[in-house]
Amino acid sequence: MPLLEATALVGGYGGADILHGVSLTVDAGEIVVIIGPNGAGKSTALKAVFGLVRVRQGHVRFDGNEIANQRPDRIVRLGLCYVPQEKNVFAGLSVHENLEMGAFIRTDDIGSELARVYEIFPALNERRGTRAGDLSGGQRQMVAIGRALMLKPKVLLLDEPTAGLSPRMIELIFDRIKEINRLGIGVLMVEQNAKFALSFAHRGYVLAMGQNRFEDTGPNLLANREVAEMFLGG
Amino acid sequence: MEYVQTLIYGIVLGSIIAVAGMALSLSYGILRFANFAHGDLLTAGAYFGFVFFTLLGWPMYVAFPLAMAVTACLTLGIDRVLFQRLRQSTPVILLISSFGVALIVRAGVQLAFGPDTQVYARGIEFPMQVGGLRIKPTHLYIVGGAIAIVIGLHLFLRRTKVGKAMRAMSDNADLARISGIDTERVIAWTWLIGGAVAGASGVFLAMDTQLHPVMGFRLLLAIFAAAIFGGIGKPYGAILGGLIIGIAEEFSTFVISPAYKPAVAFAIMVLVLIFRPQGLLSGVKT
Repeated sequence: MPLLEATALVGGYGGADILHGVSLTVDAGEIVVIIGPNGAGKSTALKAVFGLVRVRQGHVRFDGNEIANQRPDRIVRLGLCYVPQEKNVFAGLSVHENLEMGAFIRTDDIGSELARVYEIFPALNERRGTRAGDLSGGQRQMVAIGRALMLKPKVLLLDEPTAGLSPRMIELIFDRIKEINRLGIGVLMVEQNAKFALSFAHRGYVLAMGQNRFEDTGPNLLANREVAEMFLGG
Repeated sequence: MEYVQTLIYGIVLGSIIAVAGMALSLSYGILRFANFAHGDLLTAGAYFGFVFFTLLGWPMYVAFPLAMAVTACLTLGIDRVLFQRLRQSTPVILLISSFGVALIVRAGVQLAFGPDTQVYARGIEFPMQVGGLRIKPTHLYIVGGAIAIVIGLHLFLRRTKVGKAMRAMSDNADLARISGIDTERVIAWTWLIGGAVAGASGVFLAMDTQLHPVMGFRLLLAIFAAAIFGGIGKPYGAILGGLIIGIAEEFSTFVISPAYKPAVAFAIMVLVLIFRPQGLLSGVKT
């Protein structure tokens, strides 16, 4: 049984449904990428998994628990953490305080997680005391991902982690995501840089109009002519 | 010398407004509505101090923290009875409700203590003469107490987990929720801290002047002006805002009748809202 399993999700922000039956699974230690055209419901699907979008029909199961429409503080306790695309750091707090806030619900010692995040992102270690709002876009993304790592998640949900970053920074962030994955953490991410992301993902989903369109391993999706023509720009 | 004397009075009044404004600004940043009951929480705190200090005859160093604690509990109680049920409401509904709370608290004070003015201690307090300046011991207590509260609040916001979570929630409430921060717990702490600080400012105000059921409400305008001056939601800005408004109010008595003192705060607030609605310190992040 997959660690994270969303089945036939239907829902949206309250008005018309955006998701019309999206299903996704993530196994332990897997990198799974969601791609698709604008408005396909990629980010909405990710939010629905995390309880931020109302799920009218369907199920979200994580590690044996039903989590559809649950409060985020309950979901993070189970080991599923989410990094939004925008406004994903506490701008007025220092880098270090941002990481501490990620571990708010923990009452045990967070020293080893802090050390691990600083090891994964050495750039943050040098800027512990800097206000997160004063960092570059790439460094802010590192803080956002680092914040989510503080709860020792089993699966990370990343909403377009490389949006608006320079090619060099995109490469660095993807490299770090692979590194995080090597620690055994599953990753489900929505990504615009589809070709790049599929090149290292274990599996990928192509969504269109709020439904699953294709689902295959990363290399197979890259090799799929139809996917390439429709969604990867030829 | 006359100007220095006025400056001293301004600093005393400014300290009271600054501390009250800090609490108002802090609660605005987290609760996202302008709490019109804040002035009457000052009144409540002042009268709790009256009970402990004047009626029960306990020393001020006991009465003062007790007044803070009881005001904090009252504030949290008001949240549990009223504001908690309105958490999902729009700010304007919360604002109107807070106005209702203000009336209830004021009426409660009036029922319990009557509509007349009272004082903590009868008799004349002799001011100390320091190089031609008149300084009353209460002035030193007020300014010293205000500094202690500012430092205490600063340490709380910077060093404690709940304090940091309060800043985080003020910064980005959605992200706080996503991070698993227990926002209800943070809100409870915000009311407790805000209520305690309001209670302290109320005792200061009563020490500086006298007790009256509308004492806090009369100061509310100046408190709001201080909070807006410093950029509402940014507690540190309210310190500067409070001092400037307190000093400006005192200096205005050179030119206009003292009866118009509150108008000075109002004028400053209007000017700030016209020319710099984001607050004077909006560039300075907390």
